[in-house]
Amino acid sequence: MLPKFDVLTDEQINKIHKNSLKILQEIGVEFSYDPAIEVFKKHGQRVEGHRVFLDPDFVENMVEKAPAQFTLHARNPEHNLVCGGENVIYMPGYGAPFVYDADGGKRDATMADYDNFVKLAGASKNMHMTGGTVVEPTDVEDEIRHLKMAYSHIINSDKCFMGSSSGYEHAMDSIKLTAVLHGGMDVIKEKPALICLVNSVTPLKYDDRMLGGLMAYAETGQPMVIASLVMAGSTGPATMAGALSLQNAEVLAGITLTQCINPGTPVVYGSTSAVTDMSTGSLSIGNPENALFTSASAQFSRFYGVPCRGGGGLTDAKTVDAQAGYESMMVLFAASTTGVNFVLHTAGILQYYMAMSYEKFMVDDEIAGMVLRYLKGFDTDSDEKMAYDVIEAVGPGGHFLTQKHTRKNFKTEFFRPALSDRQSFDGWSKDSLDTNQRAKLKWQEVLANYTPPELDPAIKEKVEAFIEKRSKELLK
Amino acid sequence: MNPIFEEIKDAIVEGDEDLAIELAEKVVAEGIDPVQAVQLGFIKGIEEVGAAWTSGEAFLPDVMMAADAMKAGMDVLEEVLAAGEGDGAYEDKGKIVLGTVEGDIHDIGKNIVGALLTSAGFKVYDIGIDQKAEDFVAKADEVGARIIAASSLLTTTMKSQKVLVEYLDAQKLRDKYKVIIGGGPTSAKWGEDIGADGWAETADEAVELCKKLLG
Repeated sequence: MLPKFDVLTDEQINKIHKNSLKILQEIGVEFSYDPAIEVFKKHGQRVEGHRVFLDPDFVENMVEKAPAQFTLHARNPEHNLVCGGENVIYMPGYGAPFVYDADGGKRDATMADYDNFVKLAGASKNMHMTGGTVVEPTDVEDEIRHLKMAYSHIINSDKCFMGSSSGYEHAMDSIKLTAVLHGGMDVIKEKPALICLVNSVTPLKYDDRMLGGLMAYAETGQPMVIASLVMAGSTGPATMAGALSLQNAEVLAGITLTQCINPGTPVVYGSTSAVTDMSTGSLSIGNPENALFTSASAQFSRFYGVPCRGGGGLTDAKTVDAQAGYESMMVLFAASTTGVNFVLHTAGILQYYMAMSYEKFMVDDEIAGMVLRYLKGFDTDSDEKMAYDVIEAVGPGGHFLTQKHTRKNFKTEFFRPALSDRQSFDGWSKDSLDTNQRAKLKWQEVLANYTPPELDPAIKEKVEAFIEKRSKELLK
Repeated sequence: MNPIFEEIKDAIVEGDEDLAIELAEKVVAEGIDPVQAVQLGFIKGIEEVGAAWTSGEAFLPDVMMAADAMKAGMDVLEEVLAAGEGDGAYEDKGKIVLGTVEGDIHDIGKNIVGALLTSAGFKVYDIGIDQKAEDFVAKADEVGARIIAASSLLTTTMKSQKVLVEYLDAQKLRDKYKVIIGGGPTSAKWGEDIGADGWAETADEAVELCKKLLG
């Protein structure tokens, strides 16, 4: 793996860290959820109404308790993932309510789309897990959406996935369902198997829904991403250092709460901070500022000794065009080369998280493959890799195409594109397909050829029984 | 022309809320014609900002701060205007009640819509975040609004927009108000599904929509 580079000096890190602690101590954070307030009171923090003022030493001590890395367990142990250290974990986009088609059409996302994206992630060698809320399946009732989504991940793939954080009850449902899959609550407490996304409401708030989710995961020892999305210029200051200080304060407050509830609970420091488009007020994510926030967050995660979430194949484009490509590559590359471990939104996102696109998924999958290859860097460990002998054998003026050394090594040393076109002009011009059109053919082919890994029928039965029972209760 | 009108206009263009209040107080204290102060000062200022916005020279902070300054100054003048002081009369382009629906605490998009509507000459009553259907309707009834605008950023709170329309139906008030909706996960189709009178994707489109509905 390549060494990760820094975007902040030690002095800058300290300055921002101190700024964040001052925000937490003197301005405070609003937690709307009473059980969370009780936790802070019990730990001797100053509380006024729902606003909590955190002591700087207390915050540092609590954050210290969070582990530097953890293993997330899949139903197929080959897909277990270590989150932290040098590792990078890719997965599909999260939470988009719309699907944009190859021809520029827009529609509500459905459960069928959900299953398709899980399958595409299951089939991809670049997606390490199948993610969570890969789209918002708007054709499924709210009350049971979390169950249907979890089921899709369970039966369509054997990779790790994410659970609901939408309130205490739904969070607990996903955790219990995962326990059924893995053989009990005791098993997943020992070997965490479900991770969720908890977001602050910037500036300086956490709402009931997310805090309920946070408490369920913390109580049961399941990992979670604590993330802040500062829209610099609207929900946060227009300066990079100010926005980063605000984001950092929010994430530290969330991590502190998790460690108060259950010291040692695995957490991931999350950032999706970016800028506001000052002409429309929209979030804008396909830009160098987002890349900088992402890289700075990775550095802060190293500073605090926790894994990091950030970045992705992020763009503001509405279709799979050049903008979608160059923006996504920039943010995913920055995230991956500066030390982000958990990359939500690696594949599929268009228009600042508003939509998923099948074609974009395939483009991002290609970008992910390219970046993963880049991260491997140079292998200089053996004489074989240094290739002196073959250079000597060929000598001046020869070629390497017919050398055994070439045939043996090119497949592992070279990235092999699945989507990019490397033909001659004549070859390409037979069909003259652009990336968007090729991507459309590609995802259809992948879906048609995908067979989900089998799930033990006895476990499948238990999973389905759990979902049926809870669905009845929830739809009553 | 009283030079204070030019000063008011500049205060709006600069988005200087404190100065707008100070000048409005001076208008009241010195018995200056309040209708002229509105037309030659506040409206001139907000129109200038609105034009700069349309041509892409002004950005959101410019428009939103101008709208805030205008609202603050106009609040000071409200009493003398209501008392019918001054020559002629001041009339807004229509009253709109604006808020974020129950269960949702996001308000940036809503605030942007409010500012642009204000800069377009509408009188906006922003009731804030996490508002029940009855709160929207109570305010609309109180101020005589013709449009109720409801925002939602979450897929889980969109249904509160539907609740609002249903509430108006149940109260037999549906014909009295135009209901418009917006927010990230909403769509034209969602607007049609729940029986809203309109949907807009952006703040600019919301202004056009209101002009159309009240035109």
